Amino acid sequence: MTESQRPGADGPRDGIGYFARFGVTERLIADTLAAALSRGGDHADVFFQHRIGSDLGLEDGAVNRAYASVELGVGVRVVRGDQTGYGYTEDLSPEALLECARTAAAIADGPARPGPVRFHVQAGLPDRYPLSRPWDAVLPDEKLPLVAALNERAFAADPRVRKVNVFLRDEAGAILLADSSGRIVEDRQPMTILSLSVLAEQGGRREQNGYNVAGRAGIEFYTPERLDRVLREAVARTALLFEAGPAPAGEMPVVLAAGSSGILLHEAIGHGMEADFNRKGVSIYADKIGKPIARPFVNIVDDAANPGARGAINVDDEGNAAGTTRLVEGGVLATYLHDAISARHYGVSPTGNGRRESYRHPPLPRMRSTYMLPGPHRTEEIIRSVKRGVYCVNFSNGQVNIGAGDFTFYVKNGWLIEDGRLTRPVKDVNIIGNGPKALEQVDMVSDDLAIDEGGWTCGKDGQSVPVSQGLPTVRVASMTVGGRGA
Amino acid sequence: MSAPRSAAAETAALVEVTRRAADLAVKAGASEAAAGAYRARHVEVSWRDGRLEKVTEATTRGLGLDLYVDGRFASVGTSDLRPEALERFVAGSIALARNLAPDPHRRLPDPALYAGQSAVNLDLEDPAYGALDAAARRRAAAELEAAARAVPGAEAILSVTASVSDTHGESVLVATNGFEGTRRATDFWIGAEVAVKDPDGRRPEEFASAGARHRSAVEPPAVVGRRAGERAVARIGSRKGASAVIPVVVEARAAGRLVGALLGPLAASAVQQKRSFLDGKVGEPVGSPLLDLRDEPLVPRGLGSRRYDGEGLAARPFPVFERGVLRNLYVDTYYGRKLGIAPTTARASNLAWALGPRSPAELLAALGDGLLVTGFLGGNSNGTTGDFSLGVRGFQVRGGQVAGPVAEMNVSGNHLDLWKRLSAVGNDPYPYSAMRTPTLVFDGLQVAGI
Repeated sequence: MTESQRPGADGPRDGIGYFARFGVTERLIADTLAAALSRGGDHADVFFQHRIGSDLGLEDGAVNRAYASVELGVGVRVVRGDQTGYGYTEDLSPEALLECARTAAAIADGPARPGPVRFHVQAGLPDRYPLSRPWDAVLPDEKLPLVAALNERAFAADPRVRKVNVFLRDEAGAILLADSSGRIVEDRQPMTILSLSVLAEQGGRREQNGYNVAGRAGIEFYTPERLDRVLREAVARTALLFEAGPAPAGEMPVVLAAGSSGILLHEAIGHGMEADFNRKGVSIYADKIGKPIARPFVNIVDDAANPGARGAINVDDEGNAAGTTRLVEGGVLATYLHDAISARHYGVSPTGNGRRESYRHPPLPRMRSTYMLPGPHRTEEIIRSVKRGVYCVNFSNGQVNIGAGDFTFYVKNGWLIEDGRLTRPVKDVNIIGNGPKALEQVDMVSDDLAIDEGGWTCGKDGQSVPVSQGLPTVRVASMTVGGRGA
Repeated sequence: MSAPRSAAAETAALVEVTRRAADLAVKAGASEAAAGAYRARHVEVSWRDGRLEKVTEATTRGLGLDLYVDGRFASVGTSDLRPEALERFVAGSIALARNLAPDPHRRLPDPALYAGQSAVNLDLEDPAYGALDAAARRRAAAELEAAARAVPGAEAILSVTASVSDTHGESVLVATNGFEGTRRATDFWIGAEVAVKDPDGRRPEEFASAGARHRSAVEPPAVVGRRAGERAVARIGSRKGASAVIPVVVEARAAGRLVGALLGPLAASAVQQKRSFLDGKVGEPVGSPLLDLRDEPLVPRGLGSRRYDGEGLAARPFPVFERGVLRNLYVDTYYGRKLGIAPTTARASNLAWALGPRSPAELLAALGDGLLVTGFLGGNSNGTTGDFSLGVRGFQVRGGQVAGPVAEMNVSGNHLDLWKRLSAVGNDPYPYSAMRTPTLVFDGLQVAGI
């Protein structure tokens, strides 16, 4: 599926795949890796990246702003045990690459190791983001009407709408990873995100909300159904805020609606299962593999393989195969999320979770698309079971302290549950819990798994990567709701 | 290896690239343009449990262009500075702009606002930058760890990660209607993150860090490491307190989170888009008289200091809040034109607070019972309505003394109410953030816990 050419047949100076256009050759890669291993080390890799982004923005009724970006650069990494040396540059000249490699090599202090003499281009990657056309072949004329129509329709949908903002971003990207084993892996990574934000006024009050959709997909992602949903959700979520009040304060049952509530997993367990934190012994989940941490009907996966998902990848940023990793199986903690360093540390196979924001960063164990599998309960039954609690529908952000286990997620729209019924909307409330405690207290799981289509971004160690998340409707027996009053 | 060039030659080369990009934009059809280029050398050493964990070292560069094309606007950036690639990129960006709707408010700033830059020496570049070598960085990292591990209760420490980083950066800004500026700056940071074992199985973490424009102004690693160790050990045995409406003291370091939530709504862009709870409040009281702070761009060695802003406007101090009354918004050229008000600057530089007379300990003593917040966890603030809800950790305060650690709690309210409850301000501006927040005391905040 990649465009990598097979090197070697025409001699080692051939350009390599996509990056041939920048003068990247097998010789250049071989020289760079040799310099990277000039002081020894267990592993070295070189990561080329080219990413072209384009944004169209609508404000005050007109598509009147565009943003474009080009990132071109290369990072060189040397690994010795669990130590990392890293250098990067935007200059792809041989001199700059060699300097970068020698910088990274400083982490090691032994005799030189020979670099690879033969390379093999890894073929047969999965094709998880098929495109009808790459984004750089889509003309602005095709995108502009899509953006402008949402504006008109949002104003038409509700007379209270005063301001509408629309952003459409698309990315065409390519990465190439070559390492000291002689492996070369190339992937083309498209991305798009569409965001509609609505400001409405009613009786002197203002409320703002929105909806966004994202995926590794092309222009065909924007089907009429998806655009209808963007419009409907953005307007409805804003309008509902006029009826909403604060949530109560204190401990109570929390029901999470199917979909973006997967933020619970991301914060309560996902980060804590990233193996770097466990390797260092600083995660609350360190030493818990093989132990029960949740009810038997709780199954959680981190999945690279959902076609077109924002968190999907064909291969990770270390060149390792990326599939479906089972974090929790039948309530038992099964596997950490590994990059190559942690996999070596634990003596297991990498799980394809080695990801990086860009060539400016070395890879870290990161989530991809994290969700819980369907369970045995019915959604109506779950809501009916709650005497007094909060039903959370959509979210803006979350955070976790990895070691203490405390985590939060911020609810934009939700409902108060009283006597098994949704009684009034609530808004803008943070919910705080402790990871292992919250998982133990997941006592009902519905069969209505939905993976959210929103543009989630996960930050760690100063690096942002695109992720997805999902959940069936779930009840957590008790969490602290950061509202007001009793 | 390429021979190192002198600093003056590096600057001249960067100026040349920036001018060329601006010229290129005009030649390719832009009516006017602003070009900004940067180059930065960054080194970061991370040290964990007795040895190096990670060393990152790089010289990085990039170029940004604001293009004004027949009344249309595009803002673009690239790290691919090869001459032919840049030419193609500029031509493509101008073609992109031509597809857009014209916007009469999009023009470069009034050149009169470029004039009058302060002559003050901001002293943002440490001349001793080059003297820092790999061995000195490792030494500092090892000292950070040793100090953290020397605190009372250190036997509970699971892991210490120390970090030492420094940057030498240079940027050039050229606008085709008569602005050219260059700027060089250094910064140096050290920090330690410490994880400890709580007997109940939790592994709480805390950190301390320090940074400055000049290396000699950074607190010694032994001091910062000790602070990190002490803070971490103090987290052991944290509990969740009861839900209540109580007085809350927010530590200077943490207070930036609350003040930061004002900066978005203070932007003219938010006001013009009706997404600000401060819309219509200029000249009105927003907080208690103790909410009193200025934007001060001309502080020598300040982390947010600058002689000109991102648009080239000459930097000038101005009041933001005076005795609780909102005096000025952060106004850039574009949204200023849309609102019909004069620009101030798009973004905050350094904040200068009217400080109170009392130390944090004195403020706690005067508090009686309440909550001391030492860190926030997640949560958010709605810039349109002012509603906020934030996870917190910290300590209970009993009889004016710091008591046991608390965690897994939350504070909530509305900013238009919160700042009216500001009842005391400390004498201790946090030096390691351009917001320079002092300790803040609020009467009667809603806290959620058990």
